[in-house]
Amino acid sequence: MSEGGAATAGLFFDLGGRIAQTLVRLNAAREVTVGCSAKQPVWSRGKTTLYRYLPLTAIAPPERAQHARGGRVRARPGSARPAPVLICFALVNRPYVLDLQPDISLVRRLLEAGLTVYLIDWGEADDADRGCDLEHYVERALGGCVEHVRGAHAGAVNLLGVCQGGVLSLIYTALHPRQVRNLVTLTTAVDFQTPDDLLSKWVRGVDTELIARCGNLPGAALNALFLALMPFRLTQQKYVRLLLSGADQRAVEEFVRLERWIFDSPPQAAAALTQYLRWFYQENSLVRGTLEIGGRAVNLKQIRQPLLNLYAAADHIVPAAACAVMGRHVGSRDYTGCAIDTGHIGMYVSRRAREEIPARIIAWLRARS
Amino acid sequence: MSTPFTTGPFKPEAMFAGAAAGFYELLKAFGPQGAAAPDLNSLSRALGAQLEQWLKSSQAPGPSFWGSPPLAAGAGFVPTTATGSAPDARATWDLLMRLAQLQTQLSAQWGEIASGCAQRFAARAGALGAGALTPESALKLYELWVDCAEEAYAERVRSEEFASLQGQLANTTAELLLLQRRQAEQLARAFGLPTREEIEGLERQLRELREELEESSGARRAPRTQPRPKPRPKPHPKPRPRAAPARRAARRRGRRPRA
Repeated sequence: MSEGGAATAGLFFDLGGRIAQTLVRLNAAREVTVGCSAKQPVWSRGKTTLYRYLPLTAIAPPERAQHARGGRVRARPGSARPAPVLICFALVNRPYVLDLQPDISLVRRLLEAGLTVYLIDWGEADDADRGCDLEHYVERALGGCVEHVRGAHAGAVNLLGVCQGGVLSLIYTALHPRQVRNLVTLTTAVDFQTPDDLLSKWVRGVDTELIARCGNLPGAALNALFLALMPFRLTQQKYVRLLLSGADQRAVEEFVRLERWIFDSPPQAAAALTQYLRWFYQENSLVRGTLEIGGRAVNLKQIRQPLLNLYAAADHIVPAAACAVMGRHVGSRDYTGCAIDTGHIGMYVSRRAREEIPARIIAWLRARS
Repeated sequence: MSTPFTTGPFKPEAMFAGAAAGFYELLKAFGPQGAAAPDLNSLSRALGAQLEQWLKSSQAPGPSFWGSPPLAAGAGFVPTTATGSAPDARATWDLLMRLAQLQTQLSAQWGEIASGCAQRFAARAGALGAGALTPESALKLYELWVDCAEEAYAERVRSEEFASLQGQLANTTAELLLLQRRQAEQLARAFGLPTREEIEGLERQLRELREELEESSGARRAPRTQPRPKPRPKPHPKPRPRAAPARRAARRRGRRPRA
């Protein structure tokens, strides 16, 4: 055998060993748990549940302080506590990615900073929910959550909208500006027809009335749609990188936690999904000022509260250009837009984002508490 | 090898095994060349053919929701005049034929992507240099292959032609499903079984009742802007007056009349 042939044979032998070892680790990580911070349900309506995270009293103060990179958020003089943060996640994914594991948890960083954190879980839409439309999600579900948190804390809330949840948060804030003290959006599109928006191109010719009559969209179909945006990277390359990275059991478990989230899209209520496709992707009504929810015009200029808009510079689902223009469309004079050098999922889990994003949010809120 | 665009139960080890097999195939194509410079053109063509096969192996007719199992499930159900009316049976056949045409067009798109990828790879792989494969060079080769595949894919799927095809696939699949559902409902009625239409009617009623109940109980809970007072028993809560009929009907339709 030639020297090159021997080297190649050695590579194949090595590869076989790595594949076997990684498979063993993946199997061992199969039952990995997701979500790490303690929370309790405090309110529900239909399938929507509002959770309140418990304060991190179990963690020793020095350790907590070390984690809270943005420092603790202090209340305004005269007020008892800083306003609570209500996290409104997307309908198309599960919110536990914000609390995946102790060192990858935006929720935990906010708790460490002394903030009270609430999270909306939209639940699992079933056939009985096929008629749930965007008005239901904005006014009844999100609105109900805001009302509950305001009731419990006697004042306006800090609303943190993530991805599609950011769009719902923008709509809610525009319709109910007095209910929200500060608004933070993460990977949130306002212009749904930027040239690099592939989803927008694909759904432009879809007959939404017809699709709505077919019923709820299963989560698996939604997963497939997102994977189809970059199929080779998302269904092939990341696994090969895992194979060649020599990942230990802990790294493999971390990988599986994220995989579990990626493949865990909930079913989508037919009415809300098709409205979202038509009003945003097909009609771009948010920036055109033609959106109406429950018969009320949604005018983004009504959003006059401080607004922090964080988005990913290399986002394949919500292009940066779709988010970056938010400042032009809202009425807020205290607007901060910031592109983070990562991708869509990286905004929740990348090493850079897991430090930078909580620190930015905490510091920004601290300055406005 | 795993199939693209289809997701089932969460099985990371299966996804991993599929991707590892693809990587192994790629290396195998390069491996026997050893230190000799490979014929990149024929190699790229072979790899392109593998890629095309991979893309076509998808069970779904398209890369997004219109190919989802529930929407496409009906494609296997071909009605006869025994299960529906003759016009319905004809309409179903027409839609199935239309779907087949669209899938052929989609298949041609996959072919274009595979050949675009192969061309890109042939043009760039030479720069990596010949020599024995090491883990590092294998990874570089693989990353290049993925880059070429994504570029070729992006170029094609961003075209108006592809977007229009996706829209047609979605609409045709949905039409087919609805037509077949109608036929299934006729059968269900004949057997005295509840139909989707009837269940939807019940769901609508249930939702309206739930909303009315929540509204009336919401009226009993005055919105709090002050700290929560200590709970006191409220023996006779006064319900809010019911909305005027026109307003209630408008709300059921999801719209409120402008003031």
